[in-house]
Amino acid sequence: MRSRWWIVLLAVVFFAALAPADAQQRTVVLRAWTIGPDNPSITRFRNLETAAERLNAELRREGANTQVRVEGFFDTTNWDSFLRRVLLAFQGGDPPDIVQASAALASTWATAGFISPLDEYIPRHPQFADVYPALWTAMRYQGKTWAIPQDTEARPLYFNKFLLRRLGWNDQQIADLPKRIISGDFTWDDVMTVAREARQRNVIEPGRGYYHRPVNGPDFVQWYRSFGGRDFDQATGKLVFNRAAALRYYRWLRAGVEAGVIERDRLNNDWNRFHQPITDGDGRVLFWSGGTWNWAEWEQQWVATKGGEPWLFERFGFAPHPSYTKGGKPITLSNPQAYMLAARSRNKDLAMRLLALTTVPDLDAKHAVGSAHLPVLRRTAAMVNNRFLKEVSYLLDYTTFLPIHPDLPRWQDAFYRGVSAAESGSTTPEQAVELVATELQRMLGDKVIIE
Amino acid sequence: MRRYAAPVIFLLPATCLIVAFFLAPVVTTLYLSLTDISVITFQNPQWVGMGNYATLLRDQFIGRIVLNTARYVVLTLLFNVGMGLVLALLSSSVHQRWGDQLRAVWLLPRILPPVVYVLIWQGLAREAPYGLIGTITGSSTSWITAAPWAVIVLANGLVGASFGMLIFTSAIRAIPADLFYASAVDGATTLQTVRRVVLPLLRWPIMFVTAYQTLSLLTSFEYILLLTDGGPGFYTTTVWSLHAYKLALSQYFGNVEFGLGAAMAAVLVVIGIVVSVAYLRIFNFRALVAEPKIEVN
Repeated sequence: MRSRWWIVLLAVVFFAALAPADAQQRTVVLRAWTIGPDNPSITRFRNLETAAERLNAELRREGANTQVRVEGFFDTTNWDSFLRRVLLAFQGGDPPDIVQASAALASTWATAGFISPLDEYIPRHPQFADVYPALWTAMRYQGKTWAIPQDTEARPLYFNKFLLRRLGWNDQQIADLPKRIISGDFTWDDVMTVAREARQRNVIEPGRGYYHRPVNGPDFVQWYRSFGGRDFDQATGKLVFNRAAALRYYRWLRAGVEAGVIERDRLNNDWNRFHQPITDGDGRVLFWSGGTWNWAEWEQQWVATKGGEPWLFERFGFAPHPSYTKGGKPITLSNPQAYMLAARSRNKDLAMRLLALTTVPDLDAKHAVGSAHLPVLRRTAAMVNNRFLKEVSYLLDYTTFLPIHPDLPRWQDAFYRGVSAAESGSTTPEQAVELVATELQRMLGDKVIIE
Repeated sequence: MRRYAAPVIFLLPATCLIVAFFLAPVVTTLYLSLTDISVITFQNPQWVGMGNYATLLRDQFIGRIVLNTARYVVLTLLFNVGMGLVLALLSSSVHQRWGDQLRAVWLLPRILPPVVYVLIWQGLAREAPYGLIGTITGSSTSWITAAPWAVIVLANGLVGASFGMLIFTSAIRAIPADLFYASAVDGATTLQTVRRVVLPLLRWPIMFVTAYQTLSLLTSFEYILLLTDGGPGFYTTTVWSLHAYKLALSQYFGNVEFGLGAAMAAVLVVIGIVVSVAYLRIFNFRALVAEPKIEVN
């Protein structure tokens, strides 16, 4: 009795082995880790899933026996914990195939050997040809391309029209403010003057004349530049720290704290303490630096119940960041997000096909509109009919990128320490500048120029 | 040979655990601290000898961090042990039913996840109209950034006190009732009884709690991380272990330096050993664990 079962089993195995190989379908799992951390940017992950469906349809049409499935997550906590997770995965030797992060990280990860150069893959996919050329520049390091642009953004100086009106500004004056910033007529000192006046006339509460982000971030480079600083020397490829520019910025912050228009504890690590006062009532903060993506956060999370986007347009205006000097050039910073491919990925071809299908106008537009980031494809920009994106995209004329240097994080960390020291009053602005210079010299030695 | 078989077998599991989870990490940390391993050099770390320790010595912020650490440990310890003692004395002096309930309430923060506990603190301590205290008092002060040290010590201490409370309570319960009767007969007031009878008999648990809490405070930073992240501003509340954690594992732009962080951790191990030895001396450990001179049955 038992022997008969064995014969049946053997027969099944035998015929299964004879069956044509292509009848067996192979599912390749592509692991992708993505982050906002702003909630509306969830399309950074959802778009990959949609692209996977399209890729599967393509594969079926080609008669391939492979299908893909995207697995992974969209992180809404913070950069710090996300990057730690990515790092541990890279080190553990089992990284996801695709990681989305700031393009500026590509130089660090490329130096570490974690990610793969993509130059041989990019020309194979026509979708990539429509990406803004400037964005490709931000993806290159040491002559190679390390990432695929996912989105970009601008970091405007926002202002509260309602509060400006209470200060006596008329609608025309308010509407002209961005133009005055662009022409160099309205400088950082004017921001300070208006904020002081608002405080003196009790239009704002203490500390709410100007808000910047509560934690470290790429924006500090942009503010340093707006005060005349340069951070990278093209000729030598070294990072640069300009004492005079840093001092101007630190002094400006300190003066703001002393005048009661900037909070002494503005670097308080609490994003709620940023968004809440900005969106409370008719808005309680006069000027603040943010990102375009904040617009989507405010719309969907902070003012959703009291009017959404129309509420925002009525009360908030935006402009590039001013210069420190009359007639100076305005500035904003773009820190493009990018998809990178792990050097250890075993499915690079499929992953690149997936990324190509993600870099298409409809998905690009969906992400841009949904998260208030700016699109990466030229065709998308022409296609999207969204008031905010249309009105804000001119900021890209004044945009700059982070310098591509593996030691940039150290520079940024040191500069941030200086901001925290000067703003909190732990040191004078002059001492803060010296702290940063000494720290950079100690950490980077001859890899940094202190001027 | 057979004489040793049984002890070896019995000691083996614990030895394996200690080697795997205590000794191996210490050795690994020491080894890493002698290399320049970081994100960039991860696949190819170089041996730098004492280089990381030299870097630490040259760090212009390290003095501030050492002071912060001392402040954090001493203040929290005083609050922890003092509050634990007060709670133990109070809860043992009332009816046992009420005493047990009082202690149960004080254990609540300990069973809360730190993140939730800190969220509650933020909800309490933010400025009006976002924080409860601010809303009630109409104050626009955000206490976590206005008085970061007070909040950190309180938040840590209120959780930490329950540890001392439990140990001290059980020690007070273990004091023979005859001693209380005797002191009552002699006409001692409550305070005198506490001072002359209870506290001398609590010497051993107080030493244990102090030593244990010192070591755990030296290495703990989770409430600081969650409450202030070492700020507000310039290293205001950054302690040694938090700084080591940030260097080794947590940087906004993801460029962390494991070697340097490991060197800081290694220094902490040394400090921990020195502190432990000092405590053993101060509290005269040998005398405490000596054979009792009289039997109390």
